[in-house]
Amino acid sequence: MALSRISLTDFRCFSQVEVDIAIEGTTALTGPNGAGKSSVVEGVSWLADQRSFRGSQRDLLVRTGADQAMVIADLVVGGRKIGIRALLPRTRNATLEINSNRVRNTSSVSEVLRAVTFSPDDLRLVQGGPADRRSWLDGILSARSLRAAERIRTVERALRQRAALLKQIARRGGGISPEVGSTLDVWDERLAGCGSLLAEDREDLVGRLSPLVDASYRDLSGSSSEVSLLYRRSWEGDLQEALVRGRQDDVVRQATGVGPHRDELVVLLDGRTARSQASQGEQRCIALGLKVASHAVLSEPGREPPVLLLDDVFSELDHYRATALVAQLPRNQTILTTAGDLPAGMEIGKVVELTADHSLAAPGIL
Amino acid sequence: MLYTQPLQVLIDELGRLPGVGPKSAQRIAFYLLRVPQEDAARLAQAIVEMKERTTLCTRCFNVAEGELCGVCADPQRDGGLLCVVEDPRDIVAVERTNEHRGRYHVLHGALNPMEGIGPDQLRVRELLGRIDAEQVEEVILCTNPNLEGEATAMYLAKLLTPLGVKVTRIASGLPVGGDLEYADELTLGRALEGRREVGT
Repeated sequence: MALSRISLTDFRCFSQVEVDIAIEGTTALTGPNGAGKSSVVEGVSWLADQRSFRGSQRDLLVRTGADQAMVIADLVVGGRKIGIRALLPRTRNATLEINSNRVRNTSSVSEVLRAVTFSPDDLRLVQGGPADRRSWLDGILSARSLRAAERIRTVERALRQRAALLKQIARRGGGISPEVGSTLDVWDERLAGCGSLLAEDREDLVGRLSPLVDASYRDLSGSSSEVSLLYRRSWEGDLQEALVRGRQDDVVRQATGVGPHRDELVVLLDGRTARSQASQGEQRCIALGLKVASHAVLSEPGREPPVLLLDDVFSELDHYRATALVAQLPRNQTILTTAGDLPAGMEIGKVVELTADHSLAAPGIL
Repeated sequence: MLYTQPLQVLIDELGRLPGVGPKSAQRIAFYLLRVPQEDAARLAQAIVEMKERTTLCTRCFNVAEGELCGVCADPQRDGGLLCVVEDPRDIVAVERTNEHRGRYHVLHGALNPMEGIGPDQLRVRELLGRIDAEQVEEVILCTNPNLEGEATAMYLAKLLTPLGVKVTRIASGLPVGGDLEYADELTLGRALEGRREVGT
């Protein structure tokens, strides 16, 4: 699978732009700040994940003054040409088409176009709260299996249903009568069933990621410190029993206190919590290591490797680390953005220069 | 801009129908504006008559004309076998299979706390009342295979089992006549989970 072209209409700052991508190797997007380099990357990443890697609301993706944005990607998959088109209205749901056929199941687009995005925001994986790390794990699980993706959606929905029921109980005075208890039983059982499986999926994944992160970190940092990942469940033993035990508290809080939505992925550097005890530079290297590891897991044999999207990744790295990162990155199709120099040691197949008025400068090949 | 009052009233009413947005409501209203008087009267009459003449079956809560629905009024039906569905439309789907020779029970929904639907909003008490009264031997839980449908099935199973009735759940899995390679991962996964031993 390879991207050959991405076109954006009324997306972010662009009224219309078409960017040709080198089928093999690396395409570098250059240009001054605010030219829209990151927005091109964001367009590709939106198609792959149907959300913004910058965490932006839909409203912000549509150019001011326009009603809807359009993102089109031309792909070559096993010699066949495939076109993916997305319409993003400001408020309503986005619609997706593959070769002009409307697709209802968004994961079928993610099956065709897969991408892993590196950006300065990744630092959130180390510095941010547990929710950032859980959603990172869930993103990898969803990209690997539709079953896991469905499990994640079911857990979220079961949690919302249970919370609604807790709210009703609280409104009626907070007592759990046998009758109410028996409906609560049902939601506990559904939540416990898919929730324990989700925790197992995540633990399994963390087990595979941990050594990869460690190896990547050592190489990037040039130090012998050890990075390890630890998945910490918010309950002990059987989830259903834990849910039943926590009921009275849950009614007071009107939220579910234990379950996969309260679990934590702890990142340790030499046994200390990286979030609070690692330096800024160490945290940056760990974040890169996490992303390198997730890319490796998603490129497992038998799967099309994802397109690599590197948004402004090298500006924060010194020469040594930049070179080490380039050496670690797989030789997949890569799109990178940079406001300054091109990273040393990276073979660039094509340079696309964007201008301050959000259009293409005359094309050039290095 | 508002249209003349009678037209605007119709647009507003049509706009309240499920799946009809403001644009469609406008299009339908303008279509009706142009149809002959008798066509419009026939539509209006059909709506009024449907509301006047249809009731819910007093036994199974299917849509009926009169006290009992067609299925409940049929003496050939096996009263010992009860198929529980969420919606009257599900009865039509099951009936098309010609596989079910028992009766039905319509819950009119599934457990859904987010929409304020609990057991009291469903025809659960009525279902429990039927087990002894009609000497039901088996209840087939035929709710949708989604989170709410599964939760409802589980809830009913817990209430029904102590009554000494056999409780079964419909299987979920592969469509008949399909190829394994075209089955989506989710369905195939479920089918594997629900596999059974081959009798010899």
